[in-house]
Amino acid sequence: MAVTGETFLALLPELVATGFLIVVLMAGAFADRSMGLVAGLAALGSLAVFGSVAVLLIIGFSGSFFGGGFVVDSFALYFKLIVAGSAFFAILAAARWSGHTGDAGEYLTLILAVVLGSILLVSMRDLFGLFLAIELATIPSYAMVAFDRSRRESAEGGMKYLITGVIASSVLLYGIVLIYGVSGSAALADVARTFSADLSPVAVIGLVLLISGFAFKVSAAPFHFWTPDAYQGAPTSAAAFLSVAPKAAFFAILLRVLLEGMPEAAPTWTAVMAFLAILSMFVGNLFALRQRNVRRMLAYSSVAHSGYILAAFAALQGQAVQTAFEAILIYSAAYAVMNLGAFLVVDLVGEDTKSFNGLIKTSPAVALSMLVFMASLVGIPPLSGFFGKLWIIIAGVQSGSIAVYVVVGAVVLNSVLSVPYYFGIVRNMLFEEATGPVTAKDGSGALRFSVYALALATALFGLLIIPLSALARGSGLL
Amino acid sequence: MLIPLLGAILMLLLPDEARLVRYAALGVSAVPLLLATYIYFAFGDNLDAAALSQDVTWIESLNVGYRVGLDGLGFGMFYLTALLTFIAVVASWDVGENLKQYFAILFVAELGMLGVFAAQDLIMFYVFFEITLIPMYLLVGIWGDENRRQAAIRFFIYTFLGSTVMLAGFLAFGILGGTYSMEALNAGGGLSRTAQIAVAAPILFGLLIKVPAVPLHGWLLAVYVSSPTSTNVVLSGILPKLGTYGLIRIAIPLLPEGVEPFLPYLAILGVVNVLYGSFVAFLQPDLKALVAYSSIGTLGFILLGAASGNAVGLNGAVFQQVSHGLYSALLFILVGVIATRTGTRQIAELGGLAARMPWAGGLLALGALAAMGLPGLAVFVSEFMSIMGGYEAFPVQGVLAALGIILSAMYLLYMLARVIFGPIERPAYEGIRDAGPVEMAAVVPLAVLLLVLGIFPALLIGVQQPAVEAVLSAIGGS
Repeated sequence: MAVTGETFLALLPELVATGFLIVVLMAGAFADRSMGLVAGLAALGSLAVFGSVAVLLIIGFSGSFFGGGFVVDSFALYFKLIVAGSAFFAILAAARWSGHTGDAGEYLTLILAVVLGSILLVSMRDLFGLFLAIELATIPSYAMVAFDRSRRESAEGGMKYLITGVIASSVLLYGIVLIYGVSGSAALADVARTFSADLSPVAVIGLVLLISGFAFKVSAAPFHFWTPDAYQGAPTSAAAFLSVAPKAAFFAILLRVLLEGMPEAAPTWTAVMAFLAILSMFVGNLFALRQRNVRRMLAYSSVAHSGYILAAFAALQGQAVQTAFEAILIYSAAYAVMNLGAFLVVDLVGEDTKSFNGLIKTSPAVALSMLVFMASLVGIPPLSGFFGKLWIIIAGVQSGSIAVYVVVGAVVLNSVLSVPYYFGIVRNMLFEEATGPVTAKDGSGALRFSVYALALATALFGLLIIPLSALARGSGLL
Repeated sequence: MLIPLLGAILMLLLPDEARLVRYAALGVSAVPLLLATYIYFAFGDNLDAAALSQDVTWIESLNVGYRVGLDGLGFGMFYLTALLTFIAVVASWDVGENLKQYFAILFVAELGMLGVFAAQDLIMFYVFFEITLIPMYLLVGIWGDENRRQAAIRFFIYTFLGSTVMLAGFLAFGILGGTYSMEALNAGGGLSRTAQIAVAAPILFGLLIKVPAVPLHGWLLAVYVSSPTSTNVVLSGILPKLGTYGLIRIAIPLLPEGVEPFLPYLAILGVVNVLYGSFVAFLQPDLKALVAYSSIGTLGFILLGAASGNAVGLNGAVFQQVSHGLYSALLFILVGVIATRTGTRQIAELGGLAARMPWAGGLLALGALAAMGLPGLAVFVSEFMSIMGGYEAFPVQGVLAALGIILSAMYLLYMLARVIFGPIERPAYEGIRDAGPVEMAAVVPLAVLLLVLGIFPALLIGVQQPAVEAVLSAIGGS
């Protein structure tokens, strides 16, 4: 196993992320007066990661390294783009808040650490390497959730997240060990040979534990209990970032494991996925209806959206495999722009639904952006969320399976169910009188820029979809 | 096509001066109207769509294209949309605050509506269909009366449910047919009869909610009553036609065998609409609610004519879409005028207005006579044709619908007698003024068109005839 120049090129995004991680940490420690510099470095770091991924994508680089355990293909690169892109906006948003507390260095280092873990994760082709990358992505995120020392909820949320996260990790690890036991190897290619159509009981248990562990990580019901507390407690930029970037990476690697590691066992896992999808959609939306706190609402909404993505997993069968695969990729990107944007607006405005009252009068541009995000989360065309749902419904219809038709029905029904709570915010913004002026927080220029940029991306997703769908089509694992 | 969008942006950029904003809005809305007029005279009775259509591939992997073009089926409504938006701008005197936002939103809605009537691709149809949703929600929710919030969200949820179900139907259709182009899918797109029925059911459901066909009309009354006058113009004049147009443009010619088993029920629904609308209108104490139910009633004729599947009925239905838009806009504006003058919409509190408001009263009488289908006015032609066609296909339903005309004459004459004739109800009405020049400018074009089309129906039928024949050849009728 020679380490060649090519290996370095394959690891370029990861190396860039590591380098900036160290630089930002050092800058935070030694130049702790100039927060602008630290934040700028971190933002530059995420852009550099984005750029290096883009370069790899453009030159069409692909290959398998370290004994097949680490793979670079356009599928992995696609998700690395999502992670790095959302990290950029999250860092811009975090700069103001963490600048206040004086902990910018540490906080931004944590974000970069999550980025590193996430981009490593999507390239893993080995179950143990996968587990390590997951831990690399999640351990800093526990700290991010608990980072706001001025609020008790932050510590509480972080604690809950930590405990459930550790349980999830052990469940996942147990699943991995069982699968390893059955197939005698942790490499996905070897796993694929043993996971045939009829599974041994141990293999089924391993598979179910593996999926359950992932369900914890992507906050799919019934493993979602940590989500509202963690998102409510976390600094908003952390909730925004964690609900988007690592989650996309978790979905990506789950997709890789299932498609590369156990394609023959598809009937088993699509059934599990269908169950999780339906449950997540209903639980997420029904609980979101009852929330008065926008962050909790968005947390439940993210449970529901995990359900939509899992619906695409359930459709990974029959004629629909290709479309369902594309649906997951496209939904991840669409969800990233709209959900990140919605969380950042909450960061700007406040987490009480009442603080949105009359926003159209006090700051029309922010209100308009929020309208775009909310409408997009509902799935109104031509916004980004619509395209995600479009692909999912198409995949579901193509699959030709009755169970998936039920899932598609649930997607349609849940889109309607979600209208009242998303548009509750819109109602407050547009139809209610302002309770007080929105305090224009200082240094929120970068945050506002992120919000507008994301709103624009959400609104013009109809144009973005042209390259994205081509990219998604081209990045086949199949 | 893009003009309304540019107009919307222009509106937002204008300074906050009411007079300037009004004139600019007038100018913007005049452009599509003039263009449509030009198309009428330049291409007249040979709207071969070739010169006026565009076909750009949008999402290649799904075979979705930006396919738009005008034909005889859509032209009448396309023209009416441009006209009624123009009139809505004129009739916006009761919109006091945030005028420029009002116009901006109105133009976004216009973009969606024009798009629907020009769409030649199922996905484009859906996208434009939904683009109208949020603007209408906002128009009602922000500028409506005190019940507006409830009304707006109810409208949103009902129609969103319908359209999402419809989307699922479209997607299933597109997948089975291999494309979303309406042209390629003509006459079933190669689907078997069972598949067509399965696809037609959700599409019909979605379209009928939009119409709304009784018993799916739950959203209608509150929205109509709460809206400002100029929103009513669009809301009653155009929006229901998105549903009926979809019926005539998509459901019937594209899925002839799938729709066929539903046609008798569609005719029954049409009759139910006619009778229910008329009976309930009878009981309304509120003038605006009366007009709203009368509008439900006359929409029934469109359903009946569309269900007939013969040349007379279809021509009648297509025509009725336009004449319904003309007369309902006329009535809603006059109700608005009367309500602003007298301060009430309760029929019991009004009386003898003709003496003080000869013009407004006279035009109200004209509108009411049109609504009851008096010969010489446009509605007569289209209702008569719808009933003839309907009678030929479904004799019982045809006779019952004809009864509806008698009923509508009863309640409308009763309303006229109470509102504009008789002694002056209150001393306060002695001093009220007649409709002013602006208000007259809003209603007179509608009244003139009602007359012109009533006397020379060939002006419109000539345009729609070739397209109606195309529909007939698709369904294999005569």
